[in-house]
Amino acid sequence: MSAIGLRRPGAPDEVPLTPETRRQRRRRERRQERQEERDATIPVQLYGLRKGTVALITTACVLFAIFTLVPVVWIIINSTKSQTGIFSSFGFWFARPFQFFHNFSLLFQNVDGNGTYLQWFGNTVLYAVVGGGGATILAGLAGYGFARFRFRGSRLFFYIIVGALLVPIAAITLPLYLVYAKAHLINSPWGMILPSLVSPVGVYLMRTYIDLSVPRELLDAARIDGAGEFRIFYKVALPLMVPGLMTVLLLSVVAVWNNYFLPLIIFSKNSLYPLTVGIGVWSQVAERSGGNSDLYPLVVMGGLVTIAPLIVLFLVLQRYWRGGMLLGSIAN
Amino acid sequence: MSDTALDTARDAPPPPSRAAAQRRSDRGSAWSRRRDRRGLWFITPFMVAFVLFTVVPLLYAIYESLFTTRIIGGTVFSGFSNYSTVLKSGPFWGGFGRVVIFGAIQIPVMLVIAFFFATVFDLGVAKFGRVFRTIFFIPFAVPVVVAALMWGFLLEPTYGPITHLANAFGFTGTNFLSSGLLLPAIILIAIWEWTGYNSIILYTALKSVPRDVVEAAILDDTPLWKIVVKIKLPMVRPAIVMLIFLNSIGALQLFVEPEILSYQGGSITNTWTPVVDVYNTSIANAQYNLGAAMAVVLGLVIIVISVGSLLFRRRSGELA
Repeated sequence: MSAIGLRRPGAPDEVPLTPETRRQRRRRERRQERQEERDATIPVQLYGLRKGTVALITTACVLFAIFTLVPVVWIIINSTKSQTGIFSSFGFWFARPFQFFHNFSLLFQNVDGNGTYLQWFGNTVLYAVVGGGGATILAGLAGYGFARFRFRGSRLFFYIIVGALLVPIAAITLPLYLVYAKAHLINSPWGMILPSLVSPVGVYLMRTYIDLSVPRELLDAARIDGAGEFRIFYKVALPLMVPGLMTVLLLSVVAVWNNYFLPLIIFSKNSLYPLTVGIGVWSQVAERSGGNSDLYPLVVMGGLVTIAPLIVLFLVLQRYWRGGMLLGSIAN
Repeated sequence: MSDTALDTARDAPPPPSRAAAQRRSDRGSAWSRRRDRRGLWFITPFMVAFVLFTVVPLLYAIYESLFTTRIIGGTVFSGFSNYSTVLKSGPFWGGFGRVVIFGAIQIPVMLVIAFFFATVFDLGVAKFGRVFRTIFFIPFAVPVVVAALMWGFLLEPTYGPITHLANAFGFTGTNFLSSGLLLPAIILIAIWEWTGYNSIILYTALKSVPRDVVEAAILDDTPLWKIVVKIKLPMVRPAIVMLIFLNSIGALQLFVEPEILSYQGGSITNTWTPVVDVYNTSIANAQYNLGAAMAVVLGLVIIVISVGSLLFRRRSGELA
């Protein structure tokens, strides 16, 4: 109740955040978004399409959706199978013995001496959260610095950062490996985390996003009120940057989660592997052993458990990659 | 791009006259000049990481590429000899040709599909558009390693369900992981992986096409395909150009798909793509210097292509 009383005039949407109303608010927001989308879309009837066209296009969508889902369905079904089942039964139906839970339990063991999936999962989460989160923070600060300040060299620095997009990953990763060998960063989690903090795309996106959504006048007003620059950043700019930051966070977490080349090169200790390298090693061993190692169910289950969290994350954060998938609007 | 032109105009140094200097000191009071310097504090954390983990490694790669390690005699300065080795290396350029073919097929096919679906979602001419949009985006959440593994299983020459399907349609003995079909297989995987992402970006771009323009066209009885091709497509052209650019840079660095498929029995040579070559040369064969030279050459080629296409577009009047 008191929250309503304290509500600032500029923020009419703020309602007390008891658990129930928060859910209600989310639902209301979603409904509102959908309504806005409907309002922005021209009614299909106006296009004067022939009757079958919508059905035809929907069919095309269905076909592409099948193409998209085929591997995902395959991996879900085959995560329940034994190694024999994976290879000798029909790929798109279940087969006995049903050993989903057995396969899942293998993820917690060091099956073949090459490492434990659970540990790799933990490593990946660590690298993705610290690396991706850190990259987002650095990109947010730098984007703000570039978008809202003019200082000596600001344009030059910015162009150099954008130019770094042209440098092949290999040309950076390989020397990192050589430097790490000297700096004792080989087989250190920092070897993976520190380079992940650099996201030129993130800086570029944040600069453009801030240019569009953080008004200079607002910052100047805060300055006249006597607020310090960091306070202004934190209190005034940051809240307006959140959708952009969420997009950059999503992109950087995915980038670290997907990274294969860097960890492949710098880690020789399997207790430091991220999922990508660990699963890669398993599949290599499985193939070399000619199917004798019984590792294939692990590869399949490992793959499934690798993609599941990200898919869930994306479904949950949908509104951000839609509202915030800035790239498209930026290029215009 | 017009934004940068504006920036240039805004930042142009004032004429070095007394009046200008006076004006500048009026405008740039101590307060605002200090404020400007504080901008540096915001970019410093990033710049430190950027210098340490991008600039320094890159310079170090160039430095390393100028040396040669011999079994007898240790590491000696060898000038550009690694570069001449790379430039004369048939396999390296063979791999380069392969990624060019890969990009030349994969990128247009993907962008056509992506644009088609972006248009469909934008116009709302399919039922359940939101559902499809979500489904199409799922592969972006799948690490390329896992994507390659899943498709590797599906395309496996003996057991793979898609191989069975091909056999059932009369293509007996099809081996998608053989040297002949591997490139198409990888193109397929890349299309699967990236179409949804590109489609969402184009969809966002299409959303910014002003509604009244389209409505006016509808009132003129313009057929829908014409609205899409003549009005919407030109307006999202910058986004398409940017996607071509980003995807090309990615294509030239193709590595994960061939590497993973090679674990699954794909017939990948050690020099299949430039980055596969860099990896095998420097890590497997421990010829770091040569590998560094390869990486630098690849970077130079990417820079030449990017700058070249930028100049070309500028000359043909696309850019301000």
